[in-house]
Amino acid sequence: MAVLTAPQRKTPAQPPLSGRRGRGPRRNPPLLFAFVLVPMLAEAMWVFWPALQGFYLSLTRWDGVTDPQFVGLDNFREMAGDEVFRSATGHTVLWLVLFGGLSALLGLATALLLQQERRGIGFYRAALFMPVVFSLVATALVWQAIYQPDGVLNQLLESVGLGSLRHAWLADQDTALYAVIVPALWRQIGYVMVLYLAGLKGIDPALYEAAKVDGASAWQRFRHVTLPQLRGVNAVVVSVIIIDSLRSFDVVWALTRGGPYHSSELLSTYMYSTAFQSLRLGYGSALAVVIFLLAFGVICSYLIRAFREAD
Amino acid sequence: MTNHQPSRRRFLAGLGAAGTTALLSGCVTSSSSGTSSSGGAVTLQSNLSSPQAKGAMQKLVDAYAKQGSGSASLNTVASETFRTQLPTYLTSANPPDVYTWYPGSVADTYSKKELLLDLGEVWNSSPDLKRYSKALNSLCTDSSGKKVFVPTTYYWWGMFYRKSNFAKWGVSEPQSWDDFLDLCDKLKSKGISPIGMGAGGNTAWVASAWFDYLNIRINGADYHRRLLAGEHRFDDPEVRKVFDRWQEVLPYFDPDSTAIAFQDATTSLLNGRTGMMLIGTFFADAAAQEALDDIDFFRFPIIDPKVPLAEEAPTDGYFASARTGRRDQVMDLLGYLATAEAQEIYIRGSSGTTLPCHPEAKDTGTALVKKGRAHIEAAEEITQFFNRDSSDALQPTADTALTKFLAKPKSVGSILTDWQREAEKIWQA
Repeated sequence: MAVLTAPQRKTPAQPPLSGRRGRGPRRNPPLLFAFVLVPMLAEAMWVFWPALQGFYLSLTRWDGVTDPQFVGLDNFREMAGDEVFRSATGHTVLWLVLFGGLSALLGLATALLLQQERRGIGFYRAALFMPVVFSLVATALVWQAIYQPDGVLNQLLESVGLGSLRHAWLADQDTALYAVIVPALWRQIGYVMVLYLAGLKGIDPALYEAAKVDGASAWQRFRHVTLPQLRGVNAVVVSVIIIDSLRSFDVVWALTRGGPYHSSELLSTYMYSTAFQSLRLGYGSALAVVIFLLAFGVICSYLIRAFREAD
Repeated sequence: MTNHQPSRRRFLAGLGAAGTTALLSGCVTSSSSGTSSSGGAVTLQSNLSSPQAKGAMQKLVDAYAKQGSGSASLNTVASETFRTQLPTYLTSANPPDVYTWYPGSVADTYSKKELLLDLGEVWNSSPDLKRYSKALNSLCTDSSGKKVFVPTTYYWWGMFYRKSNFAKWGVSEPQSWDDFLDLCDKLKSKGISPIGMGAGGNTAWVASAWFDYLNIRINGADYHRRLLAGEHRFDDPEVRKVFDRWQEVLPYFDPDSTAIAFQDATTSLLNGRTGMMLIGTFFADAAAQEALDDIDFFRFPIIDPKVPLAEEAPTDGYFASARTGRRDQVMDLLGYLATAEAQEIYIRGSSGTTLPCHPEAKDTGTALVKKGRAHIEAAEEITQFFNRDSSDALQPTADTALTKFLAKPKSVGSILTDWQREAEKIWQA
């Protein structure tokens, strides 16, 4: 500790070293700059530069092999009349509402349920958190088996006398999107639960005691103590959920590839299939730009509002 | 303190050096003329990832090393990854040397972009390749007249069924389209789904086989190839006829056709839940040996006898990167792969249902394979498969259109209009 703080202290007895700038409390050592600049440089090379290139590619027609051909805003103009893009946007919004909304609600509900320390509570928490640990592609494969025409779900329906509800869940355009949301939710709830559990742990028990003394009911305690205290966590949860919704790809790709005939297509899967299956990388980049703007816009507007309220 | 300074300086110097090296190596990679290193084994990138085929490829590579003229290192990549990564492999600065892939239109697309090695030398020097059929010669020649492919095996598509099941149900192979419809009727009346498919899961492309076959039976192979090359439109009345015929047999399709992958559809066929299936011999990789002996097939029924008989017989083989630094070794390996010996090693090691391209190489000699050979030899024209006669990029448009047709056969008009619009985007790309 003494060694670390020693150079920071201004001591008149120590003359400045010749050829080196004098050290003051406001001067940062070069090592600090190195720690900032080197990662910045790496980030610029591996993240910012490709991202900027993505913007440029969205203005081109490119098959990934020959040189990109500059076409201006043609890709965006095409997008305006592209039905698949429109339905993919609709599905993405639906996904945001259903997947995002339900995972927040159910995550909070399970956190409230499992917040009190009781015997064996760890088991339930672990069980709910377990799906987060599995890879989403592996999860999807398990769910694919469940949804098979003669899979567990249909057999279950049959055994309880609901055989008329038997369905090719992933192959029917009316059910594919919802069938895909379930495994995604199954996984996300555990994650959101953990975030909320951490938030709940941080609430001062004295607040609840005071509320109880004032005669507040359980609902009133939740409404007027828990919820306001969780505001900070909410901001994190909502950001995480929005980002996760917009980048949801793996589970959809593994289960339906956006099919049947684009009925479970999200912007992310449409972007992937346009770019890497149809080899229209210019149009794919334009879709990526739109996804980026959406994510950036939604997150920014939400965070700005959330933190303004917090102030 | 005194020790601290030099170590910090050294640390910074180290960081600087590491950064410079990274930057320099980045520059070198991006600006290199793009040739892979010239020494060492030829890298062979393979998409044959099913256990049997992968094992057979390893045996082939081992046998090549044993005969002493060179060596190859096998790198097997999952089929789907291979397909999407292929353009990246071929355009990278340091590409793998040799690849398993398809001849014809697919190879020609890459060749036009000057990504494929001219294999004229091996075609001219190899005594084996000189004996290859004329049809294979033209299949491996690109549109500028350059040889870019070495074919090794091919397989056929047909209506596969279990002999024991057909005997049990008291039905036999149909000779005509009407016979075929009768057969479907009979099977349906016995409570069996007459036609299995397997265009669900991640194998929606299987549905294209029905489109291909109906089109080559109704409009002929020439029209089919032109359609896939963008010289005809998908909303033409000729294409509409294909779907009118398809609608006739649609009630006989297994209701799970678009819900299960072809591997599961194979199981349904082997279990006798479905009667028959239009598929390529590769489905045998998923079948047990005893079931394999019970499998037979018949020709996709002839619809218009005036149309020259065509069959789908996709050819497999190898092409090489134009940027390879091991040109001579690549030629040597490809020369070896074209020999009868090499093809026999692969066929014996795999499920054994493919046929060798070398006219003197022995196939497995089973009754099924003999029948398959005769089936192909009787055809006047050979087509490859939807994606091979067009492009991998066009395949997703077919997947969407055909699965939609299977679910909503009545909206065929709008489906074909949409298909044409989507296909135009690909052709213009």
